[in-house]
Amino acid sequence: MWKKGVTLATAAIIFASAAANVSAASGRDYISIVGSSTVYPFATTVAEQFGKTSKFKTPKIESTGSGGGMKLFCAGSDIDTPDITNASRRIKYSEYEKCQKNGVTEIVEVKIGYDGIVLANSKAAAQLSLGKKDIFLALAKEVPDPKGGEKLIANPYTTWKEVNPSLPDSKIEVLGPPPTSGTRDAFVELAMEGGCQQIDWIKARKETDKKHFKSVCHTVREDGAYIEAGENDNLIVQKLEANPKAIGIFGFSFLDQNGDKIQGSVVEGEEPTFENIAAGNYPVSRPLYCYVKKNHVGVVPGMAEFLAEFSSEKAWGEEGYLADKGLIPMPAKERQQFAADVAALKPLLMAK
Amino acid sequence: MLVGKKESTMDRVNRGLARRYRRERWFRLFGLSAIVTSVCFIGLLFVSIGANGWSAFQQTEILLDIHFDTEQFDVDNLSTANYGALVKNSMQTLFPDVAGRSEKRELSKLVSSGAPYILQKMVMQDTGIIGSSQKIWLPADDEVDMFQKGYILRDVMEGDRRLSDKQIGWIDQLFAEGRLEKKFNSTFFTAGDSREPELAGIRGAVAGSLFTLAVTLVLSFPIGVATAVYLEEFAPRNRWTDLVEVNINNLAAVPSIVFGLLGLAVFLNVFGMPRSAPLVGGLVLTLMTLPTIIIASRASLKSVPPSIREAALGVGASKMQAITHHILPLAMPGMMTGTIIGMAQALGETAPLLMIGMVAFIVDVPTAVTDPATVLPVQIYLWADSPERAFVERTSAAIMVLLAFLISMNAMAVFLRRKFERRW
Amino acid sequence: MESMSAVLKSGGALFSGAEGVIQAQVRQEDKTPREDRLTVGLPFVDDARMTCRGVSVFYGEKHAINNVSIDVGRNQVLAMIGPSGCGKSTFLRCLNRMNDTVEGCRVVGDIQLDNLNIYDRSVDVVPLRAQVGMVFQKPNPFPKSIYDNVAYGPKIHGLASSRAELDEVVESSLKKAGLWNEVSDRLDQPGTGLSGGQQQRLCIARAIAVRPEVILMDEPCSALDPIATATVEDLISELQEHYTIVIVTHNMQQAARVSQRTAYFHLGDLIEVGSTDRIFTNPRHRLTEDYITGRFG
Repeated sequence: MWKKGVTLATAAIIFASAAANVSAASGRDYISIVGSSTVYPFATTVAEQFGKTSKFKTPKIESTGSGGGMKLFCAGSDIDTPDITNASRRIKYSEYEKCQKNGVTEIVEVKIGYDGIVLANSKAAAQLSLGKKDIFLALAKEVPDPKGGEKLIANPYTTWKEVNPSLPDSKIEVLGPPPTSGTRDAFVELAMEGGCQQIDWIKARKETDKKHFKSVCHTVREDGAYIEAGENDNLIVQKLEANPKAIGIFGFSFLDQNGDKIQGSVVEGEEPTFENIAAGNYPVSRPLYCYVKKNHVGVVPGMAEFLAEFSSEKAWGEEGYLADKGLIPMPAKERQQFAADVAALKPLLMAK
Repeated sequence: MLVGKKESTMDRVNRGLARRYRRERWFRLFGLSAIVTSVCFIGLLFVSIGANGWSAFQQTEILLDIHFDTEQFDVDNLSTANYGALVKNSMQTLFPDVAGRSEKRELSKLVSSGAPYILQKMVMQDTGIIGSSQKIWLPADDEVDMFQKGYILRDVMEGDRRLSDKQIGWIDQLFAEGRLEKKFNSTFFTAGDSREPELAGIRGAVAGSLFTLAVTLVLSFPIGVATAVYLEEFAPRNRWTDLVEVNINNLAAVPSIVFGLLGLAVFLNVFGMPRSAPLVGGLVLTLMTLPTIIIASRASLKSVPPSIREAALGVGASKMQAITHHILPLAMPGMMTGTIIGMAQALGETAPLLMIGMVAFIVDVPTAVTDPATVLPVQIYLWADSPERAFVERTSAAIMVLLAFLISMNAMAVFLRRKFERRW
Repeated sequence: MESMSAVLKSGGALFSGAEGVIQAQVRQEDKTPREDRLTVGLPFVDDARMTCRGVSVFYGEKHAINNVSIDVGRNQVLAMIGPSGCGKSTFLRCLNRMNDTVEGCRVVGDIQLDNLNIYDRSVDVVPLRAQVGMVFQKPNPFPKSIYDNVAYGPKIHGLASSRAELDEVVESSLKKAGLWNEVSDRLDQPGTGLSGGQQQRLCIARAIAVRPEVILMDEPCSALDPIATATVEDLISELQEHYTIVIVTHNMQQAARVSQRTAYFHLGDLIEVGSTDRIFTNPRHRLTEDYITGRFG
């Protein structure tokens, strides 16, 4: 028994080091993708399709979040680093700079489509019609004093009716993503800041004290009215079903899949429908991106073919399979533009 | 001594007796209620997972008459044939009234988007079927499956469900013709991950888990046992060994994510091992399970009666012989129990694997420890976060598989202990 | 013979030397006067198998054996008696260096087996323990078959070159231990399944299977019933023909029955040594007399 154990251990160590050497020497025969969990369902669909229809291996896709993906992507340009990173927001200048510094000098930016962020509640309750200002007043940590004056007080509202008399008299109870989520970033930026801008004196602050403006508009209340429900959007949907008074915040694809259980709230008079988001009418929507390391194209097998698959009409077009998965396609012209850029591998130039 | 005017010893004893028994009764009741409560919770967990996941073991399939038209195939290049058209054509012949582009599109959506690849595989395996007509059961789309299983209701407004009234009409017709049936979902056990629920399976995750656990076992068992033997039998008792012992006990309580960070820093960044590989996962989990194995092994070494050691030394066995011939075999059941418990712990772990890139979408079933892979609990996590409703039941089904693994591993631990412990 | 005792007494004093003085200070609780703890009687014999000179044992700070000098005669049974904690077991375990396994145990002095100091740096304990076998207080057969129990020693020392030879060793050992008739038909059954007395005889067979010169027995009958005890005692008397035996016992009748010489230990000191008959009929030392007449112990 003892001898066997020793032999096994030795064998394992030899085997492990051999395996490590082999993989380091032979490089990689599959595409490695990291990044946003919002883009994950779309990227994986393309990857699977690519794996089935091409002679290449199916790409490996890690769900690391937009920021985490950027960090891995920009860590270096050698073969160990990911080839593509997905993001539910545009690359930040600081990230671009870091990429450049680490030798990732040529990045191809691909916008792949749009995602709507919806506020939804159970079908058992009435559909809400919210303004961005209502969203801001209901969810910000500090709001202007309702008595008037340019003064901020801790958010006093407990029911929707208090926020806006046209809304129902039910408790404010919102289930949403935690601060680590890209969905949360986009929601805060698009919905809350948008509502913030509708209050003139706060908007005026944007010019004088940008920092303060941001902290007022971007800080979500922490007194229990906004409940951080974790990254799992399915869980939010289930909770909404159980509690008709609650409102949930998540990506459009979850509304799309659960249309029989939940309904999206109207925002600024626009319903969160596929058509409305695609037309750019629905105000809380964001572009989704992927970023490609140009120097890996031609080194990692299948890179060019994968990008061609991603930017083909049967994938990201209006009738494409990504639309079935809930991705809102770009307008035809934009699609053409990006498809051409991808084919030419046009590197991104970013100025501060 | 106590006899006399005072009450007798027996009287005193009897007076306290009732109270003593009452206490015992209370304690027993307390213990029993604790067990009953936990059994209830476990039962609840099993029932809810079972109820959710049971339906995932069945998959709706559609019987299609596929005509492998000879003109469609180029014998030299079988993979480029338009297999999608084969499926579409056969659906078309079943519903000749369907006209118009969007309606045809809706019709062909009833069959899984993976169906053409199933046909492709069939042709590649046996070119003889080209030119013939075959009756083939193909998986239905996940929406059809959900509808058949009652997760999509008929009486919901048309715009609110993902199947149109027309599609439901076609499904009903297919069902009436006996062309639509729920069958055992073998795909679930034979396929890797997929974005299409009807094509998704756990084989890739199970293989990944097995590879990872194999690496963990091969490394952690000998290292853990050797460490335990050294510490228990050879190491002098001094401040250093005390320090080592404290650290080992400490490591057992360190959150597993820390091991993941360590793995990222050491195995990936310093040694340059591949991301997402079971090899690295196994190494990280080895670090995590080692303390458990060492502690269990030391405990079982301690429990070997010293008389056996003396007996061996007494007939002139060297220390090493006494250990390998007598002490280790006696301690082995305890060591194996500890190892299996450590393995079960490792099997259910996701947090450290996140750091080394094993939380990933991987379609191909891994065939070596350096292939990218994911593991069962990660698969559960990924499916739980997928928007498609059919993944809800698959999540529960995957949990059932994981639980089955855990239960069988722990049962094996109990069995080994029963079998070998004090057999003589 | 008895006239030599005075000489030997001074001899003992010679061995204690300066160390004895220091020890007297350490062990203040011992009320026995210093000179009363010098060995009385005949510790030395002419044809000695083992000779011990000035042996002291320390467990860390504790002084367990104090300057003991004694010989073990060839093909004799030496019984060591004394009250609990007197150090007789500790001393016994010095004779095959079993004390090495006890942490913090230190042995000083000189113990020779056939004129070789067993505590010498060059001596390997493994062959030593093959030469000086041991039987323990509690029967401790290995959790293996009867055959394997006896065959284990010869196997690891390479004493049998073939299976047949090994079978022979097992058989002869079991026969010598008087167990053959009882177990010959079930050698493949577990040794732990035997009765207490049989187990102890199995342990004796295991010890003699490696053909030792000396067998140490540490209260071998204390866990046995009277009938089993009688069997083992008979066995000891038989083994005496071929082996040198040192036995520690609590049971004075047993010492009287099986041994030729008896040594009395008291609180780490060897108080009196002499022929068994003489010790039990005419003890010289007051402590020995107190013990064998049952005044303490």
